[in-house]
Amino acid sequence: MAEDLDNIDAFEAKETSHKLPVGWLILFWGLIIWGVYYFVTYSPAISGWTQTKAYEESVKK
Amino acid sequence: MGSGIYNKPIAFALTATVVILIGTVVTMFYPMLTPEMHPKLENLKPFTALQLAGRDIYQREGCVNCHTQTVRPLKTEVLRYGEYSKAGEFAYDRPFLWGSKRTGPDLARIGGKYPDAWHYKHFEKPQGMFPQTNMPAYAFLAKNKLDPAEVEAHMKALDFPYTIEELSALGSKTDMDALVAYMQVIGTAVKKTAPVAAAGGVKEVHFPNPLADNPQAIAKGKDLYAKNCASCHGDNAKGDIGPSLVDDEFFYEKGDMPDDDYFEVTNNGTSEGYVEDGRTGKGGMPGFKDSLSKDDIWSIVAYLRSIKGK
Amino acid sequence: MSDYQYDNQTVKGFIVSSIFWGVVGIVIGLLISIQMWKPETNFAPYFTFGRLRAVHTNGLAFGLGVGAIFGLSYYIIMRLAKRPLLFPKLARFQLYLFNVGILLAAVSLLMGQTQSLEYAELEWPIDLAIVILWVMFAINVFGTIIKRKEEQMYISLWYIIATTIAVAVLYIVNNLSIPAGLTKSYHLFAGVNSANVEWWYGHNAVGFVFTTPILAMFYYFLPKSTGIPIYSHRLSIIAFWSLVFAYLWTGAHHLVYTPLPDWIQTLGIVFTIFLIAPSWGSVVNGYYTVGTDWSKMNTNYLTKFFIMGITFYGLQTVQGPTQGLRIVSQLIHYTDWVPGHVHMGTMGWVTMTTAASIYYVIPKIYHTEIYSEKVANIHFWLVLIGQLIFSITMWITGIQQGALWKATNADGSLKYTFIETLTKNYPYWQLRTVGGLIFTVGMLFFIYNIYMTIRKGSLAEAKA
Repeated sequence: MAEDLDNIDAFEAKETSHKLPVGWLILFWGLIIWGVYYFVTYSPAISGWTQTKAYEESVKK
Repeated sequence: MGSGIYNKPIAFALTATVVILIGTVVTMFYPMLTPEMHPKLENLKPFTALQLAGRDIYQREGCVNCHTQTVRPLKTEVLRYGEYSKAGEFAYDRPFLWGSKRTGPDLARIGGKYPDAWHYKHFEKPQGMFPQTNMPAYAFLAKNKLDPAEVEAHMKALDFPYTIEELSALGSKTDMDALVAYMQVIGTAVKKTAPVAAAGGVKEVHFPNPLADNPQAIAKGKDLYAKNCASCHGDNAKGDIGPSLVDDEFFYEKGDMPDDDYFEVTNNGTSEGYVEDGRTGKGGMPGFKDSLSKDDIWSIVAYLRSIKGK
Repeated sequence: MSDYQYDNQTVKGFIVSSIFWGVVGIVIGLLISIQMWKPETNFAPYFTFGRLRAVHTNGLAFGLGVGAIFGLSYYIIMRLAKRPLLFPKLARFQLYLFNVGILLAAVSLLMGQTQSLEYAELEWPIDLAIVILWVMFAINVFGTIIKRKEEQMYISLWYIIATTIAVAVLYIVNNLSIPAGLTKSYHLFAGVNSANVEWWYGHNAVGFVFTTPILAMFYYFLPKSTGIPIYSHRLSIIAFWSLVFAYLWTGAHHLVYTPLPDWIQTLGIVFTIFLIAPSWGSVVNGYYTVGTDWSKMNTNYLTKFFIMGITFYGLQTVQGPTQGLRIVSQLIHYTDWVPGHVHMGTMGWVTMTTAASIYYVIPKIYHTEIYSEKVANIHFWLVLIGQLIFSITMWITGIQQGALWKATNADGSLKYTFIETLTKNYPYWQLRTVGGLIFTVGMLFFIYNIYMTIRKGSLAEAKA
C-alpha cells in the first residue's frame, strides 16, 4: 500500500502567508518596550534598586 | 518561498544553536566567571562527615520536594522564619537545596531552633506533635546504620576535611542521627539576631500579667497552648522535651518565678547561655514574638497559672 | 514489509510505550495527591511522597513526554522529508533502550538515588543512557532531514531541530557532576551557581520538552486533520525565532527573591514577560487558521482537541510570565498555585495535543479509521473537566496560602502558625484528587480507543 506523504504547499496558506495581525504586532512591540522599562527600573547598576534595600525600607515603615 | 536557511538544514541548525546560546552565555555562563556567583561567608564551614551523611539522607528522602531552604527578603517571611538568606551561606551546597514548594515550612533557619530531642520525636511520628500535619513518619531512619566507608567516599568526592576518629564514630550512628545533625547546622553560618534578653546583672523590673485569672484569656490560652506548646512541654504541661511548666522550678532550679519571666522566655525564646532573672537556661526554646501577639502570650501564661499544681 | 511499514512500527512502539509510562506516571500522581491530605498513605521507605514525586514527574516528562516526542517526531519527519528514516535499525534499538532506561530510572528513584535537581533527578549512569538515547535520536533526525526528498523544510521540522539541539545542551551541562560512587554524585556547581544552572535547565526543559516539540505536532497535525493550511508563514517565522531566542534567558524567574544577583533575576523576568508574544504568535496563527472554517469544530473531532490545546497553551503562557513578576511571585511562589499552573500546561496543552496527534497517527499507520469518535469525545470532555477542577482548586488554595502566610495582627505579629495555613489546604487537595481521578478515567477512554483501533487495524492487515 502506498504511503501517503506530504505536499508542503498544502500546509501553508497562499494569500495570507505574509500577514501579521495588528493586535499581535502591538503586543510584540509593547512587550519589548515594557521590557526596557522594567530592566532599567530593577537593574542595580542603572537604578540602584536592590531587593535587600527594598526590604530594609519595608521594615523601616 | 523556499529560500534562505529553510532549505539548508545544517545552516539552519547552526543558526538555531547560536540563537539558543546567546541567553545561555549572558545569564548562565558569564555569571559563573564572576566572583558574585561564588561568595562565601567567613564563618561558613564545610559539612562534617555526620552532617554530610545527613544531607545525603535529606536528598535521598526527597525532603526538598516539600521544604524550601531560602528565606526571601520580605517582611512577613523574615518574621516567620528568621534572617533572610545570604548568597555566601551556600558555598558548600552541591547541589543547592532551596526547593520550589512549601508544603511544609522553610528550613533555612531550622539549625539550633529546637533541641535535638524535638527532631527525633518529630521524625519518629510527626502527628504525635502536630496531629493535623501531613508529613510522613520517618521512624525507619533510626533503624538504618550509617556506612562509614560510603560516607568517606562522599567526603573525598567533595574534598571536605575529616578525621579517622570522626569516621569510625559514624559506625554507631544511624540515618536519624545524621539527619538531625544536618538539621542543626542548616543556616547557622549567619549569626542569629540574638534574643534581646535581660542581660545578667541588670535588675529585673517585674510587672503583673494583665490577663491573670481572666476566664476568657485562660480558655484562649488553653487553645494556644495546645497548638504551640504541647508538642514539647506535654499535653498537661508536665514536661517532655522541654521542662514542666507547672512545677516549682524555673530554668531547672528550685523556686518558681513571676509571670513576666514566663512571658519573656516565651516571647524571646532561649539559646544556650540565655539569662532570665539571674538564672541561666539551656537553650532550645523557640521565640514566639513573631507568631503570637502579646495578649496571646499573656493568655498562655494565665492558662499555665490556672492549672499549676493540679 | 516496506521501509515505511518498518519505521511505522517503530513509531507505534514509541507511542504504545509512552502511553504505558503515562499510565504509571498518572497513577502515581493520584497516589501522591492523596498523600498530601492523608499521610497514612505514605509507605516508607520506597513509597513516600518525597521519593514518589520524582517518579511522577520523571515518568511523565521522560516516559510519556519524550516517548511520544520520539515517535511522533519520526512520523512527522518521514512524511515531510518524503523518505523513510535514514537509520531504521538504530531507531528500533533506541525504542528498546528507551524502555529499559525509563524502567531503570523509575527503580533508581524509588531507591532514593537522586541528584535533587528538579527534572534532572536521575543519577549519572542513567544520565549517560539518556545522552546516548538523545544522540541516537539526533542522528536519525539530522540524517533523515539532510537526505530528504522535499527541498523546503516545513515549520514542524524547525521546532524538531531546535528541540534536538537545545535539549542536548541543557541536559549535558546541568548534569555535570562529581561522581561519588555508582549511585551518587554531587552537582559540579555549588550554591547560588548551582541554583542558576539548575533553573536555566529546569525552565528550558519545560520550553524544549513541553513546548517546542508539541508545537511541532500542532503545526503538523492541525493542517493534516482539518485540511486547512496554516494562516501566516511569516508569523510562524517570527514566533519561532523569538521563542527559541527568549526562552534561554528566563530560568531566573524560578529564583525571584533568592540570593541570586538581582540583575540576573531582572533579565529573567523581562524575557519571561516577552515570551507572551511568540507564544501567542502560535496561538493566533492557530485561531486564524481554523477561523477560515469554524465548522470544523463540529465536523472534525480532532479540531477541538487542537483548539482547546492551543487555548490552554495561550492561557499558560500568560499565567506563567505573570508569575515571574516580583509582585506576583511574592504571593504565589512556593504555594500550590504553581503545581496548578504546571498541570494546566501538562494536562491541558501537552496531553491534549499529544493525544490528538496519536488519534491521527495510529489509524494512518493501519490505513483505517479511528475505532470510535464517540469514545474520543467522552475522553475529551473528561480530561477537560478533570484538568479544570485540578488547576482551579490549586489556584484558589495557592492564593489562600500565600495570603495566610503574609497575614499579620494589628501589633505586627503573624496571624497564623504554619500548621494552620497547611490544614486549610486539605479540602482543596481532596478536590484536586477528584479532578485527577476524572482526568485518569478520561485517559482510560483514550487508551481503550487506541487499543481497539490497533486491534481493528491488525485484523484488517492480517486479512489483506
